[in-house]
Amino acid sequence: MSADPSVVVAERYARGATVAAVVIAAFWHLGYDLAATATNWGVYSRQWAAVVGWVLYLVVGGVAATVLLRGGSRRVAWLAGVGTLGVDVLLLVAAPGAVVLPANWAWGSVGWVAVIAFWRHRAAHLVAFLVADTAILVVGMVVLDVGSSEQVSRAIMVLLGAFTLQLGYSLGAHGLHAAAQWAARSSAARTAATAHRAAAEAVAADRAVRYQELHRVTATLLAELVAGADPSDPTVRRRAAAGAARLRRLMAETDDVPDSLLHELRAGADVAERRGVQVSLSVVGAVPDLPVDIRRALTEAPVVGLSAARSTARVTVVASRTDVTVAVVADAPDVHPAAPTGVTLTQDHDGTELWLQTRWSTA
Amino acid sequence: MTDPIEAPMTDQPVTVAIIEDHPVVVDGVTTWITTDPGKRAAVVASGDSIDEVLAGPGGDADVLLLDLQLGDTVVVDRVAQLCTEGRRVVVYSAMDDPGTILTVLEAGASAFLSKHEAGSHCVDTIVAVATDRPYVTPSVAGALLTEAPHLSVQERTALLLWFQSMSKASVARRMGLSEATVRQYIDRARVKYAKIGRPAPTKTALLARAIEDGLIRADEIGEYRSHAAGDQ
Repeated sequence: MSADPSVVVAERYARGATVAAVVIAAFWHLGYDLAATATNWGVYSRQWAAVVGWVLYLVVGGVAATVLLRGGSRRVAWLAGVGTLGVDVLLLVAAPGAVVLPANWAWGSVGWVAVIAFWRHRAAHLVAFLVADTAILVVGMVVLDVGSSEQVSRAIMVLLGAFTLQLGYSLGAHGLHAAAQWAARSSAARTAATAHRAAAEAVAADRAVRYQELHRVTATLLAELVAGADPSDPTVRRRAAAGAARLRRLMAETDDVPDSLLHELRAGADVAERRGVQVSLSVVGAVPDLPVDIRRALTEAPVVGLSAARSTARVTVVASRTDVTVAVVADAPDVHPAAPTGVTLTQDHDGTELWLQTRWSTA
Repeated sequence: MTDPIEAPMTDQPVTVAIIEDHPVVVDGVTTWITTDPGKRAAVVASGDSIDEVLAGPGGDADVLLLDLQLGDTVVVDRVAQLCTEGRRVVVYSAMDDPGTILTVLEAGASAFLSKHEAGSHCVDTIVAVATDRPYVTPSVAGALLTEAPHLSVQERTALLLWFQSMSKASVARRMGLSEATVRQYIDRARVKYAKIGRPAPTKTALLARAIEDGLIRADEIGEYRSHAAGDQ
């Protein structure tokens, strides 16, 4: 099973062309060969050979069709080819006097079984078979001394007519298959490119919205400062620290680093450290790859907690494949981060110490 | 439960040998020990080579404080040998990843002190270890969270909160328990880990003491029951 649409489409084309080849051979044998045998029944000097030849064609054709449609071994191809050439010999035996007359329908018909048998081989195999078919006809004509110019031209007509159709169909169908594969591949590539662009646009739009929001918050704060807000007011300082941490994280999100979650937490810790807060960050376990929205939900509240820290903060991450817990313990006033989605937020304040934990779990 | 941070039964201070290649660290640790209000421990030897320290008065010390990095050599593989000889080893290192911590505990080290947390835990750890009692630093709690088997929900929660906050009072308040009970949960998690891996006299002593103190029942110890019983 393959989910790749290019493979699915190409397989459907290949299947259609093989079914068509089998249908052509079956109609040819049941329509033309059977009718020729019946109307020339009196011409055959050995009627059993004509019947065996017709049945042998049917059996070999049936086997080759089954192998092709059901996906059997490619090695039976030449076995089927030799069996089909046996039909040539049997029809020669059946009517030695009618080598190139309609009673001997084998010369042109056997090629259709060969088209099926050699479908999954290179074209050279089919050509070799048709050469062998021609060789048997030529040997038969020489041995039976059938050599008038009318008979030679009739033989050429029969062979050329049949070979053109058979080679033309086989090569055409294979060419179509290649073209279908190519078209399906390019369409799949286009779909993938469109999906990537849509994803990139969505991420960019999301970031733009958050940037706008940050911009608004920062601008308000700056305007208040200009208007005379006191920078030594703890509330003003905390808001400034939180804004700086968020900006820093917005930048850290696009850095392509292993352990993005830790990278983003470190960015938050850096901002706190620059304010003179002593931050320790301890991590146990390997953090799994998380989608950006879960990462943001896990880090948002801890970053708010970090920003509120007065002098010390401890950031811890305990991670396993199915569970990630981020916690901040700091000497900080109580904070009110937004309720995150996709993770659980727990927090506690005992008067001096803030404890805040976000947890993502698959359980 | 007996408080593991009390001084040992004798009035003699616990003797400590420090194996550490940076003289300034030796001085720092010595200061923590000598300024301990209870004078519960005393440094009897120090040096930058395991063999040299053990050849002198350090050979009879109650507790070895061992830095894992001596010069360019990492001495993790010496821990098992020291513990097999029955020495109580407190590993003291900046290499505090869970892998290293669990490796030295598995080898029989009595406790692990990360350099960033050593100041507030150093003497307490030494005193607890001298009486074969568990002492779980926050870094060890973090490491046990990744590995320790058969922990109860309460034991796991206590370890996690201890790792996060580094304050047992804070853990106790959050769990609605007494500090003594919190310490019991944390110590039980540590004792359960002592059952893991190759036996060492230090691990056997830790388990035996845990049974004596009522921290864990003999039938909870499983394969170590006979060793523990033999020590009593």
